[in-house]
Order: sequence, then structure tokens, then C-alpha cells
Amino acid sequence: MGEVMTAQGRALPAEDTADLREIGFRSLDFSELALRVEDELGDELNFDAPGLRRIATVGDVLDFIEQLQSA
Amino acid sequence: MSEAPSVVPPASVVLVSGGSRGLGLAIVTDLLAAGLKVGAFARTVTPELTALGEKYPDHLHYGSVDINDGAAGQAFVKAVESTLGPIDALVNNAAIGQDSLHVHTSADHVAEIIQTNLTSPLILTRFVLRRMLAKGLKGRIVNITSICAQRGYPGLVAYSATKGGMDAATRSLARELGGRILANAVAPGFFASEMSAVLGQTQLDQIVRRTPTGHLTEPEDVLPVVRMLLLENTNLNGQVLVVDGAASI
Repeated sequence: MGEVMTAQGRALPAEDTADLREIGFRSLDFSELALRVEDELGDELNFDAPGLRRIATVGDVLDFIEQLQSA
Repeated sequence: MSEAPSVVPPASVVLVSGGSRGLGLAIVTDLLAAGLKVGAFARTVTPELTALGEKYPDHLHYGSVDINDGAAGQAFVKAVESTLGPIDALVNNAAIGQDSLHVHTSADHVAEIIQTNLTSPLILTRFVLRRMLAKGLKGRIVNITSICAQRGYPGLVAYSATKGGMDAATRSLARELGGRILANAVAPGFFASEMSAVLGQTQLDQIVRRTPTGHLTEPEDVLPVVRMLLLENTNLNGQVLVVDGAASI
């Protein structure tokens, strides 16, 4: 997540509770993150949008990625 | 000397795909109430469709058929014809939705959406048309598409492509069928029930405020349009009628 934000000239906040809207982390940024994780795993992480809509904080992003990896 | 204008008579036996719930069920209910005979199928027969079968035993033939099972679909068409009489109208309503960004939708799911929403309806249409033409019938086709075919919405890439495909097929069918069979499409806006499932109340209120008619589309808004295309002599052919309260304009 930090790499995605750094590539856009922004920094990842330390707090898991940081609001994604406030730090400018949009849904397409999440897609980029998921695709980077896919590259690492060598496997696709497909998912529906409703799960994406529930993501509001940095912690939610990390939890969601973890869930995808373990699914 | 010119030929007398060809008039397509009102539909009498209508085949409705995806007729067990939502808009499809509402269409089946409306057509039965209007006195038409209806053949309705869906992957799963619901209690509501069963209840209609009990209410209209001589006018409704229904069954569980997956539109992607071509052989089952053809057998159902023949069963409808033997029970209710020759089919002279088809409402292509069966479809599956989508709610996922294109990059996160598996290739298999993209293929499934295209198969269910575009390929299978076209194959069903082909089969029904062949039987209508072979019997010397005139008739009507109504394709239920979507505002997504004309406007872009995130999370609906494959779905929109299929609906756009059906809109395009509607126009070509109208040309091919030479006025003997009228082909039109109805493109509803988002239904309130669909929108409320994915949007918050604040967003819903905002969309309603931006809709000139002041309300989101309900199945009841679509029914008179489908009924008109099946029954009235309007010379509408090859058209896509958008029912969305001008929300998309």
C-alpha cells in the first residue's frame, strides 16, 4: 500500500484508522494494490465490488487483502 | 400498385425468459392479467410463479430451465406450443447482473455474463423465430436491456457490453425481419431496489433529486411499455425505449 502511495508522491499514514478519503486512496488505487499483490502471488485475486465499498480505512485495506489471499 | 401495409397483430402467446422474479415476474403477471397466454421459464421456479400457475392454469405454462441449456430451452418452447398454442412473441428478460470492476472480474465470469445475457438470448431468439417463420406467423420481440448499454457505469463493463449487444441486435433483427416481426428493446434505468442494495440513502436521495420525474424506476413503470410493444399497432420497430425518468439525459 505504501508503494502505491509513494508512486503517487504521497505517504502512507502510520495509523490503521486513517480514513482513505482523507488520504486520497481511491478505489482504483486499491485495484493497483490488489494487482501488485497478484503479481507477487502469481495468482488472480478476483472479487466483487460490495466488499470494496465497505473499505474505509487503511486497516480495512490490509484486512481485505489478507482475506483475499487466504480465500 | 403498392402493397397494403403489413400489420403485425397483437401477441397472443408470449414466451418470457427469466420470468420467476423481479421485472420478469411482473411482466408475466401483467400479461396474464391482460388475457394473454404466457410461457415463462427461469433457472429457479419461485413460489410466486407457482401461484400464478395455479391462478391461470390454462394461460400459463412455466418451468425450470437454464437459458444456457439450449436443448432444455428448445424443449420448453415446444412444450409451450403444445400447451398454449404457437408462440408469436418473445420477451428476452433473463440476465445475470454484475457488480465488480473489470480488472477484478475473472475471465470465466466475463464469459458467463456474455453467455447468459447475450449469446443464449440470441440463440433462443433464433429458435423461436425459426418456428414463427416456419408457421407463417407474424410476431413481436421485446428485448429487456438497460440504460447501461448507453451510459457508462463502474462495475458493469461486461454486463453493459451484453446489453449494448442486445440493443444492436434489436436494430438488425428489425431490418432482417422486414416488418413481419417487430423487434424492439426496453431499457430501464436502475431500479430502486437495485440502487438501494449498493448505495447509501444520501446517494439515493441525490440521484432522485437529479431525476426530472423525481423517482427511480420501478418495474411498474416498465410494464405498460412492454405491453404496448406486444399488443399495440404503433409502427415502432428497431427502437430502444429508455424508461428512466430522464435521469440519463
